[in-house]
Amino acid sequence: MSILDPMAETGLRFFGSTSASISHELKNALAIIKENAGLLNDYVNLMDRGTSIDPARFQTIAKRIEDQARRADNHIRTLNRFAHMVDEATKTADLNELVALLVELFQRPAAMQQVTLKLQLAQTPPLVETAPYLLLTALGRCLAFALQAVPPGQILQVGLLARSHEILICFDLLTGLSNLAPDSFPTVAEHALFAALKVTYTAEAAAQRISLAIAQR
Amino acid sequence: MRVLLVDDETELASALAERLELRGIEAQWVGDGEAAIKLVKAEPFDLAVLDMKMPKIDGLALKAHLEAIRPTMKFIFLTGYGSQKDYEAISCQVGEICYLVKPVDIQVLIQRMHDLLDEPQGEG
Repeated sequence: MSILDPMAETGLRFFGSTSASISHELKNALAIIKENAGLLNDYVNLMDRGTSIDPARFQTIAKRIEDQARRADNHIRTLNRFAHMVDEATKTADLNELVALLVELFQRPAAMQQVTLKLQLAQTPPLVETAPYLLLTALGRCLAFALQAVPPGQILQVGLLARSHEILICFDLLTGLSNLAPDSFPTVAEHALFAALKVTYTAEAAAQRISLAIAQR
Repeated sequence: MRVLLVDDETELASALAERLELRGIEAQWVGDGEAAIKLVKAEPFDLAVLDMKMPKIDGLALKAHLEAIRPTMKFIFLTGYGSQKDYEAISCQVGEICYLVKPVDIQVLIQRMHDLLDEPQGEG
């Protein structure tokens, strides 16, 4: 039995699973860098022994290393932004930034399920007064659930929709939503998160959408 | 020795295959389990190096498919994780395991290949 309340435990688990996912991506990028550096070394050793190597081969390998270093750097930036989400318990947050970060954090889980995430931001950055890490956790739980409702090879769209006094964060194209057990989500922990954040969760099987509504500042 | 590398990180698989070839080991690579099954049906391999976490078919499921096609094939698993939980998951399901954490040392990988195939190193 956990000594944490369900909401705190959900937040902590989200931090753990997300960090593990990003660090896995980092490890892959570093493994490719290491193997290609090793390959460069192999070719240098061959040249030392008199074998002629086409310089284009070195350029190709160097380009791979450069691309993977860039990939690793992007992951570190994402991880850093994610880690800083806990800096302030509450603040005025730009939902465009928050949802963009969410989509970056879920690239690997989506890819593992062969689902493409499509991001549709609001034209004007929607500002809300919120607990940014808790909101990201709530959105992460929604996206993890939404991924179960999208068959391999299809697109899941994450978008923002402005209404008169609220912003709707939508997870669309959930073609398999009606196949999921209605009581599987939200659980007690997500209900607690939604209540603490004062957001309203809606599932619309006919519209193939789940959404969170949050009051605009 | 004929080796098949299967990893959705195709730049890792291709670089490893190239390094093995430079050391006299015949190596091919593919980026997913379906391609691996197709290739193993068409050609014999002594050993497969499988990434644990891949889309479509993960490493453990792929091992079962490939073993059904080529019962004498040996397997080495690669993983980006290194947690005790993952190690235990493989231990439970694989029996005689060979499990390496990325990034791998090419010499360690080759030694494991020779160990599994019961070949002295250097015979390629």
